Amino acid sequence: MSLETLSRRSSTSLSAAIGAIPLILFVGLLIYFGLNAPNFLTVTNLKLVLVQSLPVMLICIGLSAVVMAGGDDVVSGGIDLSIPATTVLCAGIMASLLSAESTGLFVASIVALLAALLVGGMNALLVTRLSMTPLLTTLAMFVAVVGVNNVVTQRKRINVDHDAINAIREPFFFGIPLGLILVALITLIAFHFLHRTKWGLNLQAAGGSRDAASISGLNVNRLFGQSFTVASVMGFVCSYFVLARGAGSSPGVEDNLMVEMVLATFLGAAFSPRRVVTMWGAALGAVLVVAISVGFKSMGVNVFWTGLIKGSLIVVVVATAALSQRLN
Amino acid sequence: MKNLFGFIAVSVLSAVSLTTSNTVLADGHLSLEGKKIGVAVVGTQHFWDREAFNGATSTVEKLGGEVVAVDGGRDNQVHADNHDILLNSKVDAVISILGDDSVEPKFEALKAAGIPVFTVDHPSQHAINNTTSDNYYMGTTIGRYMADAIGGEGKVAVFNAFENALRICGIRTGLWKYVLQDYPNIEIIQPELAEEFANAPEDARKQTLDLLAANPKGTIDAIHVGCWDQPAIGVVQALEEAGRDEIIVTALDGGPDTLEIMAEENSPFVANVAQQPNLIGSTAAMNVARHFHGDSLLPQTYVDVVPVNGAEGAKEAYKQLGYGEL
Repeated sequence: MSLETLSRRSSTSLSAAIGAIPLILFVGLLIYFGLNAPNFLTVTNLKLVLVQSLPVMLICIGLSAVVMAGGDDVVSGGIDLSIPATTVLCAGIMASLLSAESTGLFVASIVALLAALLVGGMNALLVTRLSMTPLLTTLAMFVAVVGVNNVVTQRKRINVDHDAINAIREPFFFGIPLGLILVALITLIAFHFLHRTKWGLNLQAAGGSRDAASISGLNVNRLFGQSFTVASVMGFVCSYFVLARGAGSSPGVEDNLMVEMVLATFLGAAFSPRRVVTMWGAALGAVLVVAISVGFKSMGVNVFWTGLIKGSLIVVVVATAALSQRLN
Repeated sequence: MKNLFGFIAVSVLSAVSLTTSNTVLADGHLSLEGKKIGVAVVGTQHFWDREAFNGATSTVEKLGGEVVAVDGGRDNQVHADNHDILLNSKVDAVISILGDDSVEPKFEALKAAGIPVFTVDHPSQHAINNTTSDNYYMGTTIGRYMADAIGGEGKVAVFNAFENALRICGIRTGLWKYVLQDYPNIEIIQPELAEEFANAPEDARKQTLDLLAANPKGTIDAIHVGCWDQPAIGVVQALEEAGRDEIIVTALDGGPDTLEIMAEENSPFVANVAQQPNLIGSTAAMNVARHFHGDSLLPQTYVDVVPVNGAEGAKEAYKQLGYGEL
């Protein structure tokens, strides 16, 4: 065995070890909460965590599609920070239209979906046609879309009391809320499209290696653009869940969604053997992030420390991903 | 006959004194010993929220109860989700302070789990009791004070993000508007302004600067904040920055921070109605104990407020409410 092979092997195993750090950290935290936080390891708590994580899970699926198509380099690869803004805009539009009694849920949904597609389309256009950095483009889009939502809702809280939306949070089957079942179905459908269809495999090929994908005849830009549309549609779907959990649209919901979405999606990479962002990883990451949040609160940790902790975890997760990639 | 009246009078009197002594006895024996009480507050950055929270938690502890506290960091959805943690902590009762209607589904879940909910400044059909200030008096008093301060005529801009979202704000701003109906020469500038829930002073400062730029001297006489007074801090800053000393400011809540601003010489902030948030929180905790004692509670418990008119009024209120001397 040559020295070179040896060193490559040791760097690969080092890279794998570093890539596993976030996972070890989170599992460690969960064990800690299990031992210290009251009633953390109970069925009730598991249900609460799952239900609270539904909105994050949905937008994580959207974000993972963009990362898969654009590559998981946080700066130059695929990322869409505008999804939480799309969600609150759709929620704001639907809440406003539903509170004007002449509009039904169907019409409100169509208007919200069109708004979401417009955001996704703009992102796709700016990133693929003008070759703008996705990170900056979608961050700017986030700010702009939140601004539009402020105009739509006048930054006011709007109550929504609609049977179809309330049904999402209500028990449907053996005490399991309908929302949980819907998200399970949506996750399976998304998994099928992203991981089991030719389109999904092409999407992953485009993100894996842009050049190789181009040479083999794939329209990389089109695939990347489509992923932004998928993300915006997931943002739209998420808005029903945001309306359901909050019985309406409240200003400021986007900030927390943004932090948890980024943390969950990149944490999810730690679950994949190759440490890349996957849809399953992102969905599981969403549950973990909410579980950590609930764990800290159950132990009575100050809400501002929770903010610091979440921010630090993002840094650890993204830094270890970058480091393990460099060593690989 | 005289004797009969005497007998009745004595019986009634003794019945009254019995009832009174019973209440006193009951109050002295109120206890939360062995009870775990969840206290959820929407945020602790602002004086009002923090004091209501402190009043509730310290009283629960004084009565021998254990507190499980959760803080929403001034995010209504986080605040609502925090009720799940209280549900899972198997608390015996919940005191929920402020919050918009996103807490309603959570109250429903708590109620379904047999956990009684007591609210502060948030009337709810799922709660046993809501402890709040006399919002009706607050709204009408600030309406009269403001109308007087501008001589019964002029143009008024209002920060009013929560009239339709929070019932307490609906009462306060609604009754302020009701009073103004009797002042046909006072006009509310349209569209009304909407302040941010978090980061209110800085946001209100920026919005006021924009408002002043759009409305030159002589076209605006007062700026009112409809439901609270944290935005008023930013409004006063903006007026000073722009040198617009012809405009007066009125608002509601009257914590030490805003009373201090009102007490300054030539302060534009001329009227307020001060609340007693610590007493409100503490009363909510006492109501929990009363409930466990078997007393039946009225749906609303009102806590007195202190009207504040002018700089001297601010100094008096500051002293009366125990914040010190100005």
